[in-house]
Amino acid sequence: MAAWNENGADTGIRLAASALCAGYDGASILSDIDLTIPTGKMSVLVGANGSGKSTLLKTMARILTPSSGTVLLDGKSVHAAKTRDVARKMGLLPQGPIAPEGLTVRELVAQGRFPHQGLMRQWTREDEDAVNAAMATAGITEFADRPVDSLSGGQRQRCWIAMVLAQETDLLLLDEPTTFLDLKVQVDLMELLADLAHARGRTLVIVLHELSLAAAYADHLVMMKDGRIVCAGAPETIFTAERLKHVFDLEARVVRDAETGHLVCVPLGAHARRKASVRVA
Amino acid sequence: MSAAAHEPQARMHFAAFSGVPVLLGITVLLFALHIAVGAKPLPLGTVLEAIFARDATVFDHMIIWDLRLPRALIALAVGASLAVSGALMQGVTRNPLADPGILGLMAGASFAVVVTAFFFGTAPLVFLPWIAAAGALVAALVVYFIALWAPGGATPLTLTLSGAAITAFLSAIISIAHLLNEDSFENLRVWLSGSLAGRDIEMLYITGPWIAVGLLVAFSLARQVTALAMGDDVAKGLGVKTGWLKAQLLITVVVLTACAVALAGPMGFVGLVIPHVVRLFVGSDYRWIVPYSAILGAAYLLGVDIIARIAIAPREISTGIITAMVGAPVFIHLVRMRAR
Amino acid sequence: MSTSAGTASDHVVIRSRGERVALRLPVRALVAVGVLAVLLLAVIGVSLTVGSYGIELETVITTLTGTTVSDAIDNVVWQFRFPRTLAAALVGAMMALSGGALQNVTRNGLADPSLVGISQGAALAVVFAIVAAPGLDYSWRPIIAFSGALAVATLVQALSYQRRRGNNAIRFILLGIGVSAFISSITSALLTYGDIDRAISALSWLAGSINAASWTDVQILFVWCVVLSPLVLGLTRIMSVLRMGEDTAVGLGAPVKWVRYALICVGVGFAAAATAIVGPLGFVGLLAPHAARRIARSGVGLHTVLTALCGALLVALADLVGRAAFAPIQIPAGLITAIIGVPVFVYLLQRAAAKSHL
Repeated sequence: MAAWNENGADTGIRLAASALCAGYDGASILSDIDLTIPTGKMSVLVGANGSGKSTLLKTMARILTPSSGTVLLDGKSVHAAKTRDVARKMGLLPQGPIAPEGLTVRELVAQGRFPHQGLMRQWTREDEDAVNAAMATAGITEFADRPVDSLSGGQRQRCWIAMVLAQETDLLLLDEPTTFLDLKVQVDLMELLADLAHARGRTLVIVLHELSLAAAYADHLVMMKDGRIVCAGAPETIFTAERLKHVFDLEARVVRDAETGHLVCVPLGAHARRKASVRVA
Repeated sequence: MSAAAHEPQARMHFAAFSGVPVLLGITVLLFALHIAVGAKPLPLGTVLEAIFARDATVFDHMIIWDLRLPRALIALAVGASLAVSGALMQGVTRNPLADPGILGLMAGASFAVVVTAFFFGTAPLVFLPWIAAAGALVAALVVYFIALWAPGGATPLTLTLSGAAITAFLSAIISIAHLLNEDSFENLRVWLSGSLAGRDIEMLYITGPWIAVGLLVAFSLARQVTALAMGDDVAKGLGVKTGWLKAQLLITVVVLTACAVALAGPMGFVGLVIPHVVRLFVGSDYRWIVPYSAILGAAYLLGVDIIARIAIAPREISTGIITAMVGAPVFIHLVRMRAR
Repeated sequence: MSTSAGTASDHVVIRSRGERVALRLPVRALVAVGVLAVLLLAVIGVSLTVGSYGIELETVITTLTGTTVSDAIDNVVWQFRFPRTLAAALVGAMMALSGGALQNVTRNGLADPSLVGISQGAALAVVFAIVAAPGLDYSWRPIIAFSGALAVATLVQALSYQRRRGNNAIRFILLGIGVSAFISSITSALLTYGDIDRAISALSWLAGSINAASWTDVQILFVWCVVLSPLVLGLTRIMSVLRMGEDTAVGLGAPVKWVRYALICVGVGFAAAATAIVGPLGFVGLLAPHAARRIARSGVGLHTVLTALCGALLVALADLVGRAAFAPIQIPAGLITAIIGVPVFVYLLQRAAAKSHL
């Protein structure tokens, strides 16, 4: 069951994109992306709307086919390899997934076993163990037999994460897993995801909208603008006010929270600046 | 709508006015042509002579007065009624897909006529339009409420789907009624396919006045429809009593549709196509859309009926088949445009 | 067989040694399969006794077991009623499976082959063949129907596909309605144009009537079923993950692209073969998958079996009612399924509209 632990210690690069260009219907969105994903870490992609962060994730997940360049998983192109083989190594949680009406949590999570199953082999002991373990990790065991559509947004998102966990892959790609959730729920989810990387050695690539969450939880932060990677590295080194101004066109101060040591971004709108100047006066 | 409205007003009105004589000319021409073509082609001169200097002893004049003129007049009346119904419906529901056929009114009218015939035998001709009107009214309300109760409300999409559903339902029952009483339904069968062949001039005498009234009411309400088309709140702000106006419009649409159905049976897509074509030329002002729809609708149906009669002569295609052939692609185009 | 810990008691887990076979199945759905199968047999049985010439059920059974009671009864049962009833059940199952496949691939609970123009496409192709080449052998009909239906399915799919937003459920249906109106008008024009005799033979077929079904028809239907059913069952695993959207399905390693085409072809194939034999049969593809879901919740595999049974039962019943209700006049089964189907469509519309506004 704990297949990922062996690989977790391995620091070799498993997922990388090189000279990647992609887009929809001829309109190019990504241009010449080179990216390596550090193994066993949590990588977070951030950028303004339309910066291409979701497109990059989708291309790495083989939802989109690149117009040029390659995405290599263990040295093989994910777009050329058999999709089922890729699915045994790399899981994907797309943005805003919708569960079919009435599907129970257990049934949803069991869908994650797809790449390991056959027509007549749909509920082996291995499947059952993986599903139970995934539900336990995501903290949804108590809802196992409830319909997914009866749960709250945060619980539902945990179900989807459990589904991807049941896939038992070392790599997980998640597209905006926290969007439309309450802040508390967002934090809980990020804790869960960070735990997956740090305690269980999984490699995560997450597209995030929330800058402060990204700065607080990312091991490796990737900032994108206009389909290019502006900078990538530890938040410590790249999460600065100048970068935020450049990437998001956002006037902000980056401060360090005294207690947690997390970097926090404080936006400075005209309103806030006026207040600040009043206080100074 | 704004693009058209902001055009220099004077020029638009001039253009709008100038279209009337042209279109009327075309209609008159088609009317004459409609009478001239047929199993025995008649020269236009004979047609004019027959109309203006009727000689009851001339065989050609008899053909014209007894067969061709009624048919041409019916085509004229049906085309105008349906096009105006469609225009009003599109305005009041703010739904570009509105059409008396699509929203189930025609099925309702046909259904009422068939059911009456089934239970009471052939009803006197005089009642037919009123029976049809009752059916159309009920169907219109049912379709509207089904769409309204759907989450999201009465959008063009839900309205169209509930219209299609009601039409399918009523058509199935109509077909069963047919099978159960095949002989007495032979007349209705031709009528139900939306054909102008062999229609009774009597019916035109009965429905004619009502069509005239309906069209006049439509012209007089057109100004308020323009306000309504911009939204209920806008209309209220402009001092329109929206509830009362909608009731008047509903009655007008139902009467016009019922008369058209009583005259020619269900004739699909005329009310959809014509107002959209008109809008291309006169913009979004219903004061122009309604009268233009009436004239163009009349011309259109005359033209289509000419094609129906000559395309596979000596046999005839039902006129309704051709309006559907033309109308369905327009419908598809509108659905795609709407979805952007 | 074993039940394991952590599994709710309303499921049975079947595991062979070595786990070549390992399934978890809902008990309720398994029971439903049994009950529906028994009901279907019962309807078929009753159907064989009912008609202008009433026959006792016992006599029917005796006849079916091969003993001749009288030549007349032999003839009625073997040559008329039995093939007709079998054809009804087969056609029902096929239309139901077609609807199920189309609903899955379009992720749209309103998809029905007769609603989106697929049946009409098949009908047009067949009418065209009847009028243009009257000498053509009967068994070619399903193949002609298939090409017509496939062309229409491709057309509707292409018209409704939007680059970024993919397919919208209601727009798909609306376009289907437009396309089917167009195709029906061409069919009507063809019928007007064609010779009256041939037109009439085409016309009776267009009403979706199973009256004249013969053993040849049953054979043709059976062959198509045998070819297509394993395909659809084989695809159920992928259909299951496709329900959650294409992106999720790709992430799980499902070969989404070709499965889309395969499912459309299978759905069109079922509808086309059924249409070729009895004409367009409305709303069965809409009703059956929905009814199956209502009767018992289950995975896609078992749901497919339930759907087929529901469809078979529905059409067999519709045929029986249409035959018996106003005897001696026969109401085509297609009209009866339309009358049942429309209210259900309205009901489903209310919910689909809610979803499309997400």
